[in-house]
Amino acid sequence: MRNRMSTFAVLLLVMALLLSACAPAAAPAGAPAAEGESTEAAAAEAGDGAPSELRVAWWGSQNRHDRTIAAIELFEQLHPEIKVVYEFSGWDDHWTKMTTQAAGGNLPDVMQQDYARLEEWVSRGLLMPLDAYVADGTLNFDNVSESALAGGIIDGQLYGVNLGTNSMVIVIDADKLAEAGLEAPSPDWTFADFEQLATQLHENLGVYGFTGGLSNEQLWKNLYLSLGEWIYNEDGSALGYADDQPLIDYLSMVKRMQDTGVIPTREMEVAEAGSSVEDNYIVSGDAAMTYVWSNQLVALSAAAGEGRNFLLVPMPRPEGGASTNYLKPSMFFSITSQAKNPDAAAMFIDFFTNDIEANKILMAERGVPVSSAVREALQPELDVAQQQIFNYIADIESSVSPIPPPDVAGHANVMNNVYWPLVMDPFFYGQQSLEDTVRILREQADAVLAESAAQ
Amino acid sequence: MESATTAPGERTVSHAQSQSRWRRVPTRTLLYHLLVGGFGLLMLYPILWLFASSFKGTAEIWANVRSLIPQDFTLANYTNGWRGFGGITFATFYTNSFFYAGVATLLTVLASAVVAYGFARINFVGRRIWFACMLATLMLPVQVQIIPQYIIFSELGWINTFYPLLLPRIGGQAFFIFMIMQFIRGIPKDLDEAAEMDGCGKGGIFFRIILPQITPALITAAIFSFYWTWEDFLTPLIYLNDPKLYTVSLALRSFADPSGQTDWGAIFAMSSLSLVPVFVIFVLFQRFLVEGISTTGLKG
Amino acid sequence: MSKALPAPAAPSPAAARAPAKRRKRGGARRTDNLMGYLFIAPWLVAFFAFTLIPIIASFVLAFTNYDVLNPNWSWVGLQNFERMFTRDPRYIKSLQATFFYAFTAIPLRLAFALAVAMLLNTHRRGVSTYRAAYYAPSIVGGSVAVAVMWREIFGADGLINAILGTDITWLGNPNTAIWTLIVLAVWQFGSPMLIFLAGLKQIPREFYEAASIDGANGWQQFWGITLPLLTPIIFFNLVMQLISGFMVFTQAFIITGGAPLDTTLFYALYLYQRAFVSLQMGYASAMAWVLLAIVGIMTALVFRSSSYWVFYGSQEEN
Repeated sequence: MRNRMSTFAVLLLVMALLLSACAPAAAPAGAPAAEGESTEAAAAEAGDGAPSELRVAWWGSQNRHDRTIAAIELFEQLHPEIKVVYEFSGWDDHWTKMTTQAAGGNLPDVMQQDYARLEEWVSRGLLMPLDAYVADGTLNFDNVSESALAGGIIDGQLYGVNLGTNSMVIVIDADKLAEAGLEAPSPDWTFADFEQLATQLHENLGVYGFTGGLSNEQLWKNLYLSLGEWIYNEDGSALGYADDQPLIDYLSMVKRMQDTGVIPTREMEVAEAGSSVEDNYIVSGDAAMTYVWSNQLVALSAAAGEGRNFLLVPMPRPEGGASTNYLKPSMFFSITSQAKNPDAAAMFIDFFTNDIEANKILMAERGVPVSSAVREALQPELDVAQQQIFNYIADIESSVSPIPPPDVAGHANVMNNVYWPLVMDPFFYGQQSLEDTVRILREQADAVLAESAAQ
Repeated sequence: MESATTAPGERTVSHAQSQSRWRRVPTRTLLYHLLVGGFGLLMLYPILWLFASSFKGTAEIWANVRSLIPQDFTLANYTNGWRGFGGITFATFYTNSFFYAGVATLLTVLASAVVAYGFARINFVGRRIWFACMLATLMLPVQVQIIPQYIIFSELGWINTFYPLLLPRIGGQAFFIFMIMQFIRGIPKDLDEAAEMDGCGKGGIFFRIILPQITPALITAAIFSFYWTWEDFLTPLIYLNDPKLYTVSLALRSFADPSGQTDWGAIFAMSSLSLVPVFVIFVLFQRFLVEGISTTGLKG
Repeated sequence: MSKALPAPAAPSPAAARAPAKRRKRGGARRTDNLMGYLFIAPWLVAFFAFTLIPIIASFVLAFTNYDVLNPNWSWVGLQNFERMFTRDPRYIKSLQATFFYAFTAIPLRLAFALAVAMLLNTHRRGVSTYRAAYYAPSIVGGSVAVAVMWREIFGADGLINAILGTDITWLGNPNTAIWTLIVLAVWQFGSPMLIFLAGLKQIPREFYEAASIDGANGWQQFWGITLPLLTPIIFFNLVMQLISGFMVFTQAFIITGGAPLDTTLFYALYLYQRAFVSLQMGYASAMAWVLLAIVGIMTALVFRSSSYWVFYGSQEEN
């Protein structure tokens, strides 16, 4: 028995050694994917008359899937030499799947990308720069403003095409505002004004002045943006601002509002965390104000039903700061570096951006279209909520702050391992003092960022 | 409460008793039904809620949350949900799921029974080591295995097919192997030995003696395997790219998008519908659990 | 890992005659080996073809800083392990949450499963309906719908608060959030219950009949016949629930996401976050192997103990 045990152990060891020698070869970023007999025919160039294949992947819900597929069918009609093979999923699943495919050298040609992850994927060489296609006209951006494209530019190169513009917006229940006898705020209102309005609404009407969500990292970002800074430094190795005071002021305000019942407690926020836009307190009438991303207004209105009046206002700003709003691409289409048919991919993205018929199918579901020609063409077909969104974006366009750089590679790590568990939650649950909270944020975020920048 | 009575005595109700059934329902039976039935209802509440919500309009789902009775009964969620995505309806998804779950279950249960017999009844060199390996595979989180596995299947060219989902099942699954092993070990060896003395080989013993006796275990394994496979989304997610191959579990997950508009009514409707096949399989098969009692045990 | 060595414990009426021990001769031994490997061949083949390499790969990765997408990764030795235990407060929290969950949910679940299985092991009318009712919760599993359901039930004006007359935000309060998941686990006791039921059905009726004739009452029959003969199944359920309890993932993933304050950040969930959100696959692999070690040791302990309480009806030799 002993002999057999040791033989077995030796065998295992040998296998392990052999495999660890092979492992780097198995680990991807350039491993060719041998797709031999799979049912997907290997994408060939259209040289021999057979349709070439284009793979596209996106996330969304039923509405988006239906519309996108219809748009794809239109594309295929216009380009019979291209056959589009698509895959779609929910948000989480999209990333699990894409990550796995990337590791296996199997990414699709076109993938939907997110601003928060763009930098990560670019830094790992997984996305293809699109400037060549812009130069030769395949990607036509004549009707698209610089600022709309700015979000997809990293290190001077374009890596993602904006599929819809978004911005944060405060939604006020107009009826409740009237009921409380208060005036609508001006577009450049401050946090002090904001706190005052929310408190008055709460005291006059007995509902929440605001729904909460003020601890969201987006507001942390916007705060420093409006003061001319950015939360991360240039090479993503540490936090980018030196003065903690604005953050301290802001957090005190939020805590005050929680303690006086103007907004729900952190505990309640967490309990509601998984719920969707449709479940928002403003829909049920339990709150007078909320904030959403502009393209979520459609769902919000639909859930609230007929006869509700909403007022859209830009986000409040800190004393002496510029606008806390910026125009953010809601999502991008990118061409992956593992793409087998990049030319068709570029044509497809151009189609999505500029084709009027296609956009009439898509109906701005991903956000306000970046092409002015498309926006004009869609105007007559928009419903009330969408009209409001279009107007809102047009209104704030001239006064927004410039778009900040994309989130650095260590961002997800900072969010998951520092921002929520060590900073925001302990503070709002009353377990940590404000001074400690801000100090820990700086210390821990710097540590995480330093490490990820070193890689 | 723990009256272990499978008391056969209860089954044979005398003629006179059955005639006056209505007049003399024993308190014990009443209590039993109240207790078990009541608790059962509580257990079912969340599921009843799911079904009820699937018949409510989208607005009502959140407005009238707790009630089990929809104010405005509607079938719209079902029709909307069934539509699926871009022309691919749930009919396709159900077909795929049935195929996957059905074939996987068949392979898994049969293979597991065979392997279980080997581990349980045959004393061979290295048995303990392999058994330990088998159990160990259950203890390593799947999240760290999927990428290497994906690479293997990608090299084999099996992406976008059902091969990666079904082929590994020819080895059975550790859970079922172990489970059936325990059942086999509960069977006294007397019959085995008798057969062996009659010249029966291990194979014969397996087919003629063991297999008939572990029917309850096989049924249970089939029920579980079907259900777990039906629910599985991780392997279909990464191996099935073409939406026409999607299973129901995958399709359900494609409904929810936190950044956009989610049709909760459709999700509830399709989720409720998705429970039906599993439930039906359970109801159909559980009869054999009852009949199992007469096929086990020593005869004479 | 040693296998269970049965010491015939509780005497049961037909239990028996110790079979005459026979020593097998060389030829018979060789046949046994051959037959043994033949029978386990399906598993062996699948293991070598599909499972072994990923397992070894993940082991190797545990000593690296592989981050899935970056081609520049390198060996870091024991750094991942050192970091887990000394520099990662969330890791310790995930261990705490998982252990707490396992040691609460597992016993409760098994107890309910056994109790209800006993109750349902009769021929009263309606039993099959009840069986379906008790198994139904398990079918709902880890779907998106369950998440919504559970949030509603434990919500501010959900069913639980209505019944108990309280006003607790179950999912937001760090002290109660984990209990919502424990209740969920216990609610889904249908699977172990079915297995117990199958086991109960396998106990030959003759034993009970003989015992009744001998004058044993229900309680004595339970302790003397049912329990001892059920021990292989109890053992199985215990081991399986132990393993799956420590690997709990889906429910926390879809319902709480680890919140609040990481009180429901189960080990497997934290591992997933490290692997697929932070893309630190090397670190996640290290975590995976530590989990395997923990669960392996606990399982081995249970196996060790089994010789004291598990009774196999067949006097099995090893």
